[in-house]
Order: sequence, then structure tokens, then C-alpha cells
Amino acid sequence: MRDYFKTGITLMIITVIAAFALSAVYSIVKEPIANAELGARLQAIRDVLKDPSTGKSMVSDEKIPSTASDLANFEWSPSGFQVEDGIIFKGEDGRGKVDSPVYRFTSDDGMEIYIAIASAVGYGGDVKTMASFISSDTGLKLNGIKVLEYSQETPGLGANIASSDIQKRFYPVESSGLERALKVNKDAGVTPTGEEIDLKRETEGIVTVTDVMTGATITPRAVTVSINTMYQFLKKAGVK
Amino acid sequence: MAGSRLKVFTNGLLKQNPTFMQVLGMCPTLATTTSAENGLGMGLATTAVLALSNITISLVRKLIPDKIRIPAYIVIIASFVTIIDMLMHGFIYDLWKTLGLFIPLIVVNCIILGRAEAFASKNNVFDSLLDGLGMGLGFTGALVLLGSVREFLGNGSIFGAHLSDVKMFAMILPPGAFIALGMLAAFFNYLGIRREKAKKETK
Repeated sequence: MRDYFKTGITLMIITVIAAFALSAVYSIVKEPIANAELGARLQAIRDVLKDPSTGKSMVSDEKIPSTASDLANFEWSPSGFQVEDGIIFKGEDGRGKVDSPVYRFTSDDGMEIYIAIASAVGYGGDVKTMASFISSDTGLKLNGIKVLEYSQETPGLGANIASSDIQKRFYPVESSGLERALKVNKDAGVTPTGEEIDLKRETEGIVTVTDVMTGATITPRAVTVSINTMYQFLKKAGVK
Repeated sequence: MAGSRLKVFTNGLLKQNPTFMQVLGMCPTLATTTSAENGLGMGLATTAVLALSNITISLVRKLIPDKIRIPAYIVIIASFVTIIDMLMHGFIYDLWKTLGLFIPLIVVNCIILGRAEAFASKNNVFDSLLDGLGMGLGFTGALVLLGSVREFLGNGSIFGAHLSDVKMFAMILPPGAFIALGMLAAFFNYLGIRREKAKKETK
């Protein structure tokens, strides 16, 4: 009987010490972790605010937020949507989800820029994509994307989506392309080459990836689903 | 004494290499070695946990009753893994992002529990540290080698540097892990056997 108490108490002491050590470390790293997450998100916002044709930011540096409370000022909540479990909108076919919050910026020349984050199921789990849309006279167009989370995709195959050269294949897209819904070229049954790659994407929404991501279609497909879902959401919210 | 200390350290590097000789910790080995860089990151994180847990377990080895040593070791190991995971998340975000999924896997790496049970629970702190570092570096070397072979055959590169245009995707996928591991283990065991034979003949 005494033996039981002794072993039980020893084990308890060990777990209590471990719990204290963990909480001590957690309280030290809590802030750096929050900063690292915020920094990554702000960097992604800066990236998608760049005009893909010039590479320059459409919003001047001093207007881009640098702290969490700054960023909160740019949150945009259209009426008629309810946030559930951090998700503000689910795609019509249920495949894509738009995260809350959605951000709205105003470019230096007065155009409205919407930035949203959406996820869709890839090969091994959710693939998260941030995208920026510009509201202009000719309709809503896709300005840029940044794939944020792809950690469950196959390294060397789907995870190649991390490369910015591959992500460039997804943007920019004119409203005619978005209206037809983006799809990867394999699903469209075409293999554009050279200048045709940009043309097909901008006007018809066909994203060519078969030459740069051979053998991996599921991951880029998840990215197109995410972009289409964000577009559906903005349309439904009345953005033109 | 100095000679045996050195032996404690070098044991894990080749002669008792955790991966190729003891065939321990196969789950993280197969899962993370899709590229040389992933192998290196996983190996170093494991080495850190192994060294820290060996030190701690050696320190408290006389206080822990025999009956509950395994749960006690696991609590210590899991705590160190969680601490390293949190530190990486806060301070080296980019590496954590690539390896994030694999770090918790270190808990189930039986090399760590294996060394705690076989070495740290019976030896002094300094020797346990040496053993942890030796085994950890042996594991890191094995992972980098396996990752390099798979990255080279599957993606034509090593550490991201482009070397060839031959791309056998299967090598990056799970079957490639088993094939490459099998070949390398056979090669190292062949070397080991040959050395043993040479030793016997000189005697």
C-alpha cells in the first residue's frame, strides 16, 4: 500500500514540475509567437498589395499596418454574413471556406482592395491562400495571391506551391476569368505555352501549372477553389 | 578513461548508428527525409531533445522508482519536445513552418526513450550527454544522407541546389523512403561486417 502512494506521488511530482516548466516557457514565448504570426500575416498582406505588373505596392508604406491594433482598423465586415468558427463564408459547392476577418484597403489612387484568406482541401489537409481583389470600373479582378499554409502537401510535389514562381501562375486575372471560375489547365483540357499562359488565365481563368508542377494537380486545384470561393463571397457581399 | 569517453561519443556515429545499425526511430526517419534540409532540421531538433532528456534522466535516475520509470521518462521527453516546439515557433518561425508537423513526432522517436532506458538511467550526467550528442548526430547524419539521396533522385537537387534533370517522383513518395533506407542500411551493414572480418583476420 505504501508503495502505491510512493510511486503515485513521485509520478505526480514529476508531472507537476513538467507542467510548471512548460507554463514558464509558454509565458516567455507567448509574445514572440504572436509577433511571428502577425509578422508573417503582415508580410503576406504587403506581398499581395503589390501590383504584379510593376512590382510596386499600390498602398504606400506608411499606410500599411504594422501592429495588430493597426491591422484591426482595416477589417471589413459586410452585412448579411455570420461568422461561425472563424469562417465567414462557405463556397456554393462546400469545398472552399473564407476566413474571418476580411480586410479592405484603399490604394493610393483611390481603388478599393479586398484581402481575404480562404482554405480548401489539398492532398493531405487544408491549403490556405491569401488573395487580393481590386474593385475597378471593369469589374472585380484578382491582383495577387500568397499561399500561406501547405504543410501537409507532399514535399517535392504539392509543396512546390510554396515557390513564388509557381504562385505567379495564378494572377492577375480579369473579371471575365473570375466569372468563369478559375481552373487548372488539366481540368480545362488544354496545355497553353509561352504568352498564351498569361492570356488564357487573364481572360478565361485557366491556370497553367502542368509544366511547373508535373504530377501534382490536387494542390493547385485547392488554390483555385479558394480563390473562386473568395470571389463568390465578394460578389455576394455586393462588391463590384 | 579518456579513450572510453570518446568511445561513448563515437559509438552512435557509425558503429551503433541509430538508423542504419539499431534500426530505431523509423517513423520520423521515413516521414521527414523528403529533402536534405528537412532531414537536417529534424536531426538537429532530435539531437537537442536527446541531449537534454539524457542529462535530465541521468540527474534524476536515482529518484525514480523502477516501476514507473517509463512513464516518468516519457513525461520528461514530451516536456522537452513541447518546449523546443514552442521556442522554434517563437524564434525561428520559417523553419518551424516547414518542420512544424514533424516536431511533435520526436516524442514517439524510440531512439530517445531507448537511450534513456539503455544508457542515461545507468550512467553519470557527462557520459549521458556525450551519448545523447553522439546518437543524435549519428541520427542527423543518417537523415541528411537519406534525405540527400531521395532529394537527388526524386527532385534532381541536394539542399535545394539543382544538380540533375532526372526526377523520379517515387523517391520522394513513401515507397522511395523504404527503398533508399533499405539500400543504405544494406551498404552500412556490409561495411560493418567487412570491418569485423578484417579485425578477426589480423588477430
